[in-house]
Amino acid sequence: MDDPILNIISISKDFVFHHQEGTRIEVLDDFSMKFFPGQATILTGPSGSGKSTLLRMIYAGYRIPKGKILVRHQKTLVDMATALPSLIYDIRQHTIGYVSQFLRVLPRVSALDTVIEPLIARRMEPRKAKQRGRQILECLRIPENLWHLSATTFSGGEQQRINLARGFAAPYPILLLDEPTASLDPENRRIVMQLIQDAIQAGSCIIGIFHNKSDQKEIAGRVIDMSQILCRTAEV
Amino acid sequence: MTLLQEDKTLPLLRVMNLSKFYGKTMGCHGINFELGKGEVIGIVGESGSGKSTLLKCIAGRLSTTNGSVFFNSSYGFIDLCRTDEVLLRKIIRSETGFVTQNSVEGLRMTISAGGNIGERLMANGMRHYGQIRKIARHWLETVEIDTKRIDDLPSTFSGGMQQRLQIAANLVTDPRIILMDEPTSGLDVSVQARLIDVLRKLVASLSLSMILVTHDLAVARLLSHRLYVMKDGRIVESGLSDQILDDPREPYTQLLVSSILKP
Ligand SMILES: Nc1ncnc2c1ncn2[C@@H]1O[C@H](COP(=O)(O)OP(=O)(O)O)[C@@H](O)[C@H]1O
Ligand SMILES: Nc1ncnc2c1ncn2[C@@H]1O[C@H](COP(=O)(O)OP(=O)(O)O)[C@@H](O)[C@H]1O
Ligand SMILES: [Mg+2]
Ligand SMILES: [Mg+2]
Repeated sequence: MDDPILNIISISKDFVFHHQEGTRIEVLDDFSMKFFPGQATILTGPSGSGKSTLLRMIYAGYRIPKGKILVRHQKTLVDMATALPSLIYDIRQHTIGYVSQFLRVLPRVSALDTVIEPLIARRMEPRKAKQRGRQILECLRIPENLWHLSATTFSGGEQQRINLARGFAAPYPILLLDEPTASLDPENRRIVMQLIQDAIQAGSCIIGIFHNKSDQKEIAGRVIDMSQILCRTAEV
Repeated sequence: MTLLQEDKTLPLLRVMNLSKFYGKTMGCHGINFELGKGEVIGIVGESGSGKSTLLKCIAGRLSTTNGSVFFNSSYGFIDLCRTDEVLLRKIIRSETGFVTQNSVEGLRMTISAGGNIGERLMANGMRHYGQIRKIARHWLETVEIDTKRIDDLPSTFSGGMQQRLQIAANLVTDPRIILMDEPTSGLDVSVQARLIDVLRKLVASLSLSMILVTHDLAVARLLSHRLYVMKDGRIVESGLSDQILDDPREPYTQLLVSSILKP
């Protein structure tokens, strides 16, 4: 088998609420797992079991106080827990894509520009980036008359599809998906499933949160029930 | 003062153990950080926490009590706190930019918009009137001000336009770093959105290196790669913007983040 593209070694995570009597929530305790190119991993488990926390830690959007998250980035191995900021920006641009559960909408920024932002960041020629942007927006069935509007007024499902279009506009070796199909109708769900399958075929390592049993079956990856693996206790 | 060759491995800015006291009042104390080329850092914290003091010290607009501000200038990696006045003025005129909250401080209200932009060029030795006007027009366009307003006084501009003009007047000499002190406060929300949009485009297209002081966490998130949180003159927490805003660790940062709705 290949070397892992992502190797999580003994990470732990807790949150301390200083203004709520110092309550401490332990979400991950000594968690380790390897992830490989072309492999899909499905995270399930009840709300609050740490699924989103795990994705955000891989992206270094949450801090990694204990353990290592080793990422293969352009032939080097980088520990997200200790990497310098400039390297993390680079990894987020080229190696790890992350589709959050909700789109962060910006007034005055068009849906198309939102989608192609990661391409522009990669210094793709604007004309080419726009071409790709239109293609993926079409694929996700966003009506053309919306492309030049800010997504602020879009419906939840439309915003989620803009967010997904952004995540799939450029290929990433590792792609993190936080409930990507949660607010989609069956037809759009099918389209997103196809995008995921294509990414896996192309060698991406997909880690996604999916609650829907048929989604899980379709993706045919390993299923990790976070409530089974992870210790989660609250103490004061 | 040490004059070294420009070194690409050095950061653009290295602030070391910087302190500023106003008599006995602490402005800021024991500040250390670095800024890389093309990086935007935000300095957040409530009013009176020392943000403006720190920024003015970095800008060479305020003498420091202690510490160093090393700047990777075209004259080498030099400590702005120990640079002679003549060279410091030269650097401030062309290699650093400073945008203030109050455009009356940052603009000359009695000369035209074009004149405000041209002033820095002339201060750097440019004399050709037609050339200066052409450049001024370009920068007005870049910050989305109608070039027909080039001969108008900034006092006839709206608050948001004045801020955009201030930005243009600073960017015209292609500074290595731009320092902004609360550029969006005091503006209506829709006007703010436009200014932020212009700034986002500039940051992306020019790879601006910037220090942005703001008490608005949403603005900080939109524009900054990293954040520094200040309280009582000191830095209490720093990290990637999403780490600070989504996973704050220090009690003060948790309070700051939770006291607003959605940064
Ligand atoms: N930024 C945060 N600050 C404090 N607590 C958090 C934060 N993010 C998540 N948590 C807590 O960690 C636990 C796991 O949350 P999360 O990872 O979002 O779960 P899931 O995605 O499985 O629903 C929850 O109890 C949640 O309240
Ligand atoms: N010119 C000054 N003279 C005396 N004290 C000052 C002066 N400017 C600022 N201070 C004090 O320094 C501290 C930090 O102020 P400032 O840097 O303006 O904070 P911020 O920009 O975060 O609101 C405050 O206690 C303030 O009263
Ligand atoms: Mg979640
Ligand atoms: Mg201030």
